[in-house]
Amino acid sequence: MLSERVRHNKIIFSGTVGAGKSTAINALSDILPVSTEALATDDIAGIKKTTTVAMDYGVLNLPDGEKVMLYGTPGQERFNFMWEILSNGGIGLILLINNAQPEPLTDLENYLSAFSNFIAGTAVTIGVTHMDRAPAPGLDAYRSRLAELGHAPVPAVFRVDARSREDVAMLVKALLFTLNPGLSDA
Amino acid sequence: MSRPSTVPVPAPTAVFLLHIGSMDTRLIGLSIERHWKQSIRLTSSLDEAHVALVDHDRPGIDEALSRLAGRPQIGVVGYAFRPEGLQTRFPHHLTLGKPLNLDVLPGALSQAAVLSRAPLAVASANVVIPELSELRPRTGDEEPDLCGTQEDIPLVPGPPLPGKLFFEPTHYLVGHLARALDEALKTGRPHVVSGLPRLIGVHPLPQPICVTGFRDTQLRPFSMAQLPDATARVVNALTFSTSGSGDSIHAAEDFLWNTAAWAARGRLPAGIDPYRPARLRAWPNFTRAWAAPHALRIVSLWTREWASPVEIARRLGIPQRYVFSVYASAHFAGLFQAEPAAVLPAMIVPVSDVPPSLPPQRPSILSRILRKLLDAV
Repeated sequence: MLSERVRHNKIIFSGTVGAGKSTAINALSDILPVSTEALATDDIAGIKKTTTVAMDYGVLNLPDGEKVMLYGTPGQERFNFMWEILSNGGIGLILLINNAQPEPLTDLENYLSAFSNFIAGTAVTIGVTHMDRAPAPGLDAYRSRLAELGHAPVPAVFRVDARSREDVAMLVKALLFTLNPGLSDA
Repeated sequence: MSRPSTVPVPAPTAVFLLHIGSMDTRLIGLSIERHWKQSIRLTSSLDEAHVALVDHDRPGIDEALSRLAGRPQIGVVGYAFRPEGLQTRFPHHLTLGKPLNLDVLPGALSQAAVLSRAPLAVASANVVIPELSELRPRTGDEEPDLCGTQEDIPLVPGPPLPGKLFFEPTHYLVGHLARALDEALKTGRPHVVSGLPRLIGVHPLPQPICVTGFRDTQLRPFSMAQLPDATARVVNALTFSTSGSGDSIHAAEDFLWNTAAWAARGRLPAGIDPYRPARLRAWPNFTRAWAAPHALRIVSLWTREWASPVEIARRLGIPQRYVFSVYASAHFAGLFQAEPAAVLPAMIVPVSDVPPSLPPQRPSILSRILRKLLDAV
């Protein structure tokens, strides 16, 4: 019989600083998420007071007792050595991009590049946050950039409020159907 | 001397709008004028009314209902956001849910008239009276999926397609809206759909947006109703405010997706060939765009390959009306890929040659996660 540890599965949340990774995991998790927040001391302090330095961890409890782990990577690129470790064995990637950052499409490209090996074997869906105060670029600009980068078919890109469980769940559902459109939703 | 006909001429059900807001009054009036003129007429006198229609959620409802005291011959149809709570309080009212489903309203009105004045055959022959149980508010899983009841068409072209498979967009809000967006994008100027009870405008830049004074609960029934020809006009607006109190702002793509879905209700826009392959260039914004049943599966498959609406339904093993709903929305949201003329002919594969439907999945971890999310959200 498989051990509890082996039977665990995980979904990776990654993306730019301030995009709402910790918030999204908090919105979806069935437990109080474990977070490794630290006071921001560098240029991040201008965006938010604390930032994730190792990972965020939440859990989706399935009815049969199984657990799906929700891992959030640190947003700062100097912690990117963590990304591969955390994503290893994951079901797929939820990528959150902060649209209020100066170059969100470049951020998108950088993160897709960093996770390219992982995405090639799984799938990615993209949530664009803070569009209420930074409406541009719009979703079509993201789709165009994804097409230019050779992502075919273009992954799902949604406008997301990371505080909304419905929005975050929709990202995960799109990820699941991207992996397998034959899943029954009835 | 002529003898009276032995066949009674059905009289229209006289409906008194007892406690209805101006927006709903307009919407119901338009629907009656467009669709139910033969079976329903509005009356401004309670003395003539067969049925009173009541919005239970408006303040002052008790005072309004007191006007019906001593008039047991008048049937009452109410509607409310939480109709289930009103069954005990008003056991003799037929109470519908909000947003008001205009497809069942004429039947409900006729039914209430029949129940309250059984000896008088007031029900019109043009109205199919549903069983009372069909008119009770639905809850939870019973919520109508807004994709109609259209039966599947054959898998291969053959006999002429039924007219009810299609809707004419120009008869609905979505047709006017699509034209307003086209004009706005062409000219770079805002356009509004004038003649409606509330503002609907389109700003083309920097991102195309729609601004509306309709609340979400009003927009759905309004999108479902056919508008009389002269009701709406698209006009160039040099400017209009996007920050009016009560106005809401939507990405044009999301707004068109939703209004198209509500107009379509499982039908295709007129002129669309259900056997012609198409392909989505992108997913819609499903955090704001209304998702018909199976919509995520449909979109996931349809972004991968060229396939006709009929074929997508077959591959997924679902009723075609759900695919037609997604088709209508994607069509107006501009999410279909331009057809590659050189490639397309080779992609038209006889349905019988297409690989069989996706095999049923064992309950994988993906299925179990999905089940959790569907149950919990």
